[in-house]
Amino acid sequence: MTPEDRDPADRDTADRGAADRGAGSDDLPPSDPVAALNLIRQQRAEALRRIQPDPRWIYWPWGVAWLVGFGLLFLRFGPDQRVFVDLPSWLPLAVLYALLIAAGTVTSLVGSRSYGQVVGDSSRRGAWYGAAWLLGYVSLGVTLSRVTGALPVDRAGLLWSASAVGLTGVLHIAGAAIWLDRNLYLLGVWIIAVNVLGVIAGPGWQALLIALAGGGGILVAGAIARLRQRRSR
Amino acid sequence: MTAPLPELDPVIHAQARLRVVATLSTLREGDRITFPRLQEILGMTAGNLSVHLRKLEDAGYVEVTKTHHGRTPATLVQLSRRGRLAFEEYTAAVRALLDPPAAT
Repeated sequence: MTPEDRDPADRDTADRGAADRGAGSDDLPPSDPVAALNLIRQQRAEALRRIQPDPRWIYWPWGVAWLVGFGLLFLRFGPDQRVFVDLPSWLPLAVLYALLIAAGTVTSLVGSRSYGQVVGDSSRRGAWYGAAWLLGYVSLGVTLSRVTGALPVDRAGLLWSASAVGLTGVLHIAGAAIWLDRNLYLLGVWIIAVNVLGVIAGPGWQALLIALAGGGGILVAGAIARLRQRRSR
Repeated sequence: MTAPLPELDPVIHAQARLRVVATLSTLREGDRITFPRLQEILGMTAGNLSVHLRKLEDAGYVEVTKTHHGRTPATLVQLSRRGRLAFEEYTAAVRALLDPPAAT
C-alpha cells in the first residue's frame, strides 16, 4: 500500500508518508481529565522555563555593578573630598565601566538565548527598548562631555552619575509601561527617589546611596521577579 | 473509575497536539516561534511535529508562515485566535469534567 492509497484526503505524498510513521502512540488522547490537565500544566511550565529567561540574570549583574562600582567611588571620592581607601584614582570608574559592560553582555546573551527564535511583537518591543537605552546614553554622554569640563571635579562627577542613574530609573519605568511589570515600575521609582536624595546630599553621599540602596534595590527586585516567575508557573 | 471524555475537541484531544498547543499558548499574542525551536522545546522529531502542525493548521488552530531570515528560510508557528479559543475551551471542558458545576 502506497502512502497515497492510505490517506486519499492527503494532498502531500512522500514527505507526508514518512512523517506519518513518526506519529504513533502520542496520537492517543490523554487517559483521563487529570492526565490532560497535568499534561497541559507540565508542558506550559516546561515551555515557559525555556522561553522566559531567569530574571536573576537580567537584574543581578547590574545590581552587583552598582554595588561594587559606586561603592569604590564612595570609598575613593567620599563626601567633602575625604578618601576612605587610597585607591588609584582611575580604579573606581574603570571597575564600574567594566562591570556595566559585563552586565550588558550577560543581559543580552541571556535575553537572546531565551527569546531567540521567537519573533514578532515581543522581539520588536525588546529591540526598540534596547535602542532607547543605547540612544539615551549616547545623547547623555555627548551632552555632558561638552559641559562638565567647566565644573569642579566633584560636581562634574555628581552630574555624570546622577544623570546616568536618573536615566536608568526613567528607562525602568518605561520598560514597566511596555510590559506592564509592576516590579520594574517600582524599581524605577525607587532608583529615581534614591538618586534625587543622593544629589541633595551631595557628592560622595550620592555614590554611597546608589551603591547600597540602588544596587541593593536591583538585587532585591531580581529576587522578587524570580519568586513571582516561579509562582506563576 | 473516571468518566470518558466524549465531547472534547478531537483535534486537541491527542497527547502530542495538546502538548503543541499548550506550548504555543505560552507565547504572547503577536509572537511566533521558529519550527526548530518549537521542535527542541517539545522534543519531537521534525516529521512528527510536521504531521501534528498540519492537522492543527487544517483545523484553523495554527498559522504556519514561511519566511526568510536573511538568506535562510524560516518556518514560523503561532496559535491562531481560533486555536487560542479552542485551547481555552478544551481546558475549561476538562476542568468541568473534573469538577462538574453544582447547578446541574
